[in-house]
Amino acid sequence: MTLRRNSRNSFCGRTRREFLWQSGAGFGAAAMASMLTQDGFFAGSAGASDAARYASPLAAKPPHFAPKAKSVIFLFMYGGPSHIDTFDYKPSMVGMDGKTVEVKTFGRGGHRNQGRIVEPRWKFAQHGECGKWVSTLFPNLANHVDDIAFLHSMTADSPIHGSAMLMMNSGKILSGNPALGSWLNYGLGTVNENLPGFVVMLDPTGGPISGAKNWSSGFMPATYQGTVFRGTGAPILDLAPPKDLADGVQRRLIDSIQEANSRHMVDRSGHDDLASRIASYELAYNMQSTAPEAVDLTQEDQETLDLYGINQPRTDDFGRRCLLARRLVERGVRFVQLYSGGSHNDDNWDAHGDLEKNHNFHAGNTDKPIAALLADLKRSGMLDETLVVWGGEFGRQPTAEYAEGSGRDHNAYGFTMWMAGGGIKGGVSFGTTDELGASAVDHPLKVSNLHATILHQMGLDPNHLAYFFGGLDQKLVGVEHVEPIHQIIA
Amino acid sequence: MLLAVLLGSQAVAWVGAAESVLDSAAEKASEPTAMTKVDFAKDVQPLLAKRCYACHGPDVSESGLSFVDRESALAEADSGEHAIVPGDVDASLLIARITSDDEYEVMPPEGDRMTAGEVAILRQWIADGATWQKHWAFEPLTNPQPPQLVEAAKVAADQAADVHPIDAFIRLDLAESGLNPNPPADRRSLIRRAYYDLVGLPPSQREIDEFVNDSSSDAYVRLIDRLLEMPQYGERWGRHWLDLVRYAETNSFERDNPKPNAWKYRDYVIKSFNEDKPYDEFVREQIAGDELDVVTPETLTATGYYRLGIWDDEPADPLQARYDELDDIVATTGQVFLGLTINCARCHDHKIDPIPQTDYYSMLAFMADVTTYGRRGDETSNNQIDVSSPELIDQYERLDKERREVEAEKQAIEQAGIVKMSAEDQRATEDRKRDRDRVLRKNLKQHLDETQWARYEVLRDELERIDGEQKSLPPRESVLGLASYQSLEPTYVMFRGNPHSPTDEVQPDYPELFNVDPPQLQVVSSSRGSAGRRRALADWMTQDEHRLTSRVMVNRVWQYHFGRGIVRSSNNFGQLGTPPTHPELLDWLANRFVQGGWKLKDLHRLLMTSQAYQMSSSNTPEGLAKDPNNDLYWRFDPRRLSAEEVRDAVLAVNGSLNRAVYGPSFYPKLSAEVLAGQSRPGAGWGDSSEEECNRRSVYIHVKRSLVTPLLEAFDFPEPDRSCEARFMTLQPGQALSMLNSDFIHEQASKLAESLDAVNLANDELARQAIGRVLAREATDDEVASADALIVDLQTNFHVQRKRAVELYCLTIMNWNEFLFLD
Repeated sequence: MTLRRNSRNSFCGRTRREFLWQSGAGFGAAAMASMLTQDGFFAGSAGASDAARYASPLAAKPPHFAPKAKSVIFLFMYGGPSHIDTFDYKPSMVGMDGKTVEVKTFGRGGHRNQGRIVEPRWKFAQHGECGKWVSTLFPNLANHVDDIAFLHSMTADSPIHGSAMLMMNSGKILSGNPALGSWLNYGLGTVNENLPGFVVMLDPTGGPISGAKNWSSGFMPATYQGTVFRGTGAPILDLAPPKDLADGVQRRLIDSIQEANSRHMVDRSGHDDLASRIASYELAYNMQSTAPEAVDLTQEDQETLDLYGINQPRTDDFGRRCLLARRLVERGVRFVQLYSGGSHNDDNWDAHGDLEKNHNFHAGNTDKPIAALLADLKRSGMLDETLVVWGGEFGRQPTAEYAEGSGRDHNAYGFTMWMAGGGIKGGVSFGTTDELGASAVDHPLKVSNLHATILHQMGLDPNHLAYFFGGLDQKLVGVEHVEPIHQIIA
Repeated sequence: MLLAVLLGSQAVAWVGAAESVLDSAAEKASEPTAMTKVDFAKDVQPLLAKRCYACHGPDVSESGLSFVDRESALAEADSGEHAIVPGDVDASLLIARITSDDEYEVMPPEGDRMTAGEVAILRQWIADGATWQKHWAFEPLTNPQPPQLVEAAKVAADQAADVHPIDAFIRLDLAESGLNPNPPADRRSLIRRAYYDLVGLPPSQREIDEFVNDSSSDAYVRLIDRLLEMPQYGERWGRHWLDLVRYAETNSFERDNPKPNAWKYRDYVIKSFNEDKPYDEFVREQIAGDELDVVTPETLTATGYYRLGIWDDEPADPLQARYDELDDIVATTGQVFLGLTINCARCHDHKIDPIPQTDYYSMLAFMADVTTYGRRGDETSNNQIDVSSPELIDQYERLDKERREVEAEKQAIEQAGIVKMSAEDQRATEDRKRDRDRVLRKNLKQHLDETQWARYEVLRDELERIDGEQKSLPPRESVLGLASYQSLEPTYVMFRGNPHSPTDEVQPDYPELFNVDPPQLQVVSSSRGSAGRRRALADWMTQDEHRLTSRVMVNRVWQYHFGRGIVRSSNNFGQLGTPPTHPELLDWLANRFVQGGWKLKDLHRLLMTSQAYQMSSSNTPEGLAKDPNNDLYWRFDPRRLSAEEVRDAVLAVNGSLNRAVYGPSFYPKLSAEVLAGQSRPGAGWGDSSEEECNRRSVYIHVKRSLVTPLLEAFDFPEPDRSCEARFMTLQPGQALSMLNSDFIHEQASKLAESLDAVNLANDELARQAIGRVLAREATDDEVASADALIVDLQTNFHVQRKRAVELYCLTIMNWNEFLFLD
């Protein structure tokens, strides 16, 4: 099966022209058009070709300056882990359990001025050369504190899941804005067009609240939105042909379609979109082999599988997803987001009821896999260019939510996130909360500082990465000038 | 006039000059010539706005310099020097600064340097005297007449004696640039273009044949008339409007709850287009349908306009949320009806346009009686308008009041018990009703004393009685809209947009740039309790002489026909928008539109009978070389089908399209993988019959957090913000859904079945399938390819015949010819 030479020449044998599909959408949208092909255009069906190149919205773009990191793995602890029970050591709270104290809190239960202390439920010990205090929730991760920069003074604009999730993912409390991963897709493009540039992997219990809004491309083209990737079956929606089709059938169908498309183009020279659509089918075909290869863990040795806790009941799921994240990053995916926890209530870190039960469960599922991810990235040298981010949409209060029990309400006044790799200093703790962990005290950080740091490490100037929409140069970090967190940048 | 400037490219080509029209224009224009004159509005003003206004514009005048008008720009700056000295390029500091090699000197200080082409424009403009024009869109409508084409240009362009007025405007520019317009498209392409444009569906082969063979002179006009009378016209054009007003049927955020009766607003829009409702009336109904002289259920339904946006039922900061909600309405209203980004003046004066911050809040003051969408726990009172008979409403209201009282007492008793329960149980009562009921059933009694429990049981019986009585009443009819009003409070300018920092009070007023008297506010339609302010706004927006309303709408209609507006940035006619390619044509169309009673169907006829619309979409080397963006309309721009057109066309060609019009939305089948992205898979997604699922895509339920993947892949707009023009991407996700989705395989199977494909010889199958999908005869090549494919599948891949012919049908629906219009 080959395409006739002359018909192929009608779209391959010409120089590329700057071509903007005029969508009429103003400056920002002018070039959001054609999907291009890589080298080896039509290699699958027609042998070598003269490789036309078209302007792709996902084509790799130069960064603003030399990047420290090539990829980001965002480990999203959905529901909001308690900072004072994990990484933000509060020795003065020991012995205060049950005491009523004056403290301003704001959570789903509204504003309060006092509450009953719930003493941190786990013991802390010092680890690493830096002597970082870590609770017993993370025995494995504690071995990596010298590679980690802890941000103890994070704040967010909302202590309510819906708006706080949007804030952590898109920088705004309102829906309709592009996610961080979409901004990276837009700013940098992808170096591997056979895989999505922005991948989301969900918890087996379900997606987070607001679902796809969390990885939406907002007012940008859907090309930039997150693609949900699954570790079993076909990784991407509609990627695999129906099961009844034997190997080779899909290629044969595509060949037939392309043959018709080539005939159709003969009288339509200069109509670049037709060629772009032809190219998009080849790209789709390439994805069909690339994506399954990327998720094929049989290529990994037993030691690696064990490291991640794969095939152990508690850690199997998150371990697989962490290993997949490494494999995707290896293959050029820019932004991978893993959700620890899904659905509602105790299926995620949202510990309103029994704090111990909740956090023991979620930390126990993720501690070993995350430690393995850091170790694995480090031993292969990839940690230097892979930025790992850990955290939820907010933290939790020092006081009890109800008259009885250990459940804590949401806290956006102060919480902890951490970063590792990708040009971030290790063994560093930045910012503090007060002695109860109720509010950020030293160097309060906004979500925009976190986003600015991520963009900066990826080689993008957060104050210049803009997309014109609705009469404004829209930015992930907002209109006010925002500084990355220089103190943790190596 | 400067005709083609390739801004941003390395080589800047200056082509064409007005003087050359009469003497061999084509020859002259093909060679770059010295630029003779720069057009301020098209060439200079956008540059100043985009690159300079942020620091030297209406909001900020750094170093005492502003480029908003000639007087300010020519004035002495703080440094004592002059940025612009008319006629003296070397003395103009502007040029020195934008060409400086010193990184501390060079302007603009941030972003890319000005290109050589941009510098050349500014140099030329200063050399020519640095003349200024006011921004065209902020000036009253002009009254241009179609140009009388000089004989040479006319003959070169077309032999026809009567030139359509639209073509007269377009050909003048084409002739100046030495380009010829394309010849007419072939009849087949033309009817396909007209069908998709007006009704969003493909013509059948019979309809094409009839048109192609109809040699009467009015065949095309009759075709347009027929399409405009089809109810599918409203479905297609209503959808354009729904893009603009960010139509969705849920609220977004955690719960993403449905907006009851949102579909009635959608039907209102479709009906309005079908009935050719004058556009001014359509605007008045949406802005003030509750305050008109005659208020009807229909005009109340139109106020659903105010209820379409996102709404956070659990805001962290309720005051901020209230202002965010109003901002969404002000932003949408400004952009959609006026083409103004008033929203940019929320926190400070507009950086680019002469819209001070007070304008934003004066506009917001018009909406001061708009209540928030709802409250958590009561998501209907503010937005569901009961349009039933007054007697029935009374009966329901009496029962509702009783229920509220009983419920309140019942819940108080429940709460008294709940506070004594365990933390887990308490938590469980706060979320899902199902969990709450379970806990209450199991544990409430033991946490109540006897008196409480006895009273509780009485209340339960009471509720049952109320429910029974209400069920015996006939159902009442509600629509989504403004069902309650906010009592008026003063509106203040908010410091930096922060609703917690009010400064000066403002009154409802029109933006300054219109230079009109403030509204004379009277209390109107007080029976419903509204403030009458929106009525004043609506009346002003729909004045015949309004300088933006008509321009903005004719530009949209033009855009939806031609693929791009005369002003490409159709939501932004301000100085950061793109200047009109044909400003005189735009004003002429706007005048015609208003004089003709704001009728859209007449506008369609006018646009579609132009030669510009009927041109071939073929490329010419000259056209591509001189005007690759087709700014001048030397060809008709080909296009890919929209998301809805793709899906509807698939259903149409296999005969399964259900053309039922209007009514509640349906839920297409979504796979488990898609639903898995939700926190509660399947929540808020219904189950519709196959018949319902075969309806047109405009009737698909629009759930903000769960956009139907096939539509999303083909650039269905994100429904949280106004979409002025859809993206037109070509990406592998589209290929995957057209090759592998359950939907496309089902439809391919139906297509094969409808042709009885299994029992046809391969060549006959190819002829019939191509006839059905592409509405034309198959070529010999295509017949041979079909046979080769089917034989190959059956013999070499061992595919059963039934499946092989289905797969063949699937391939045709993947052809570019099916998804693109010439």
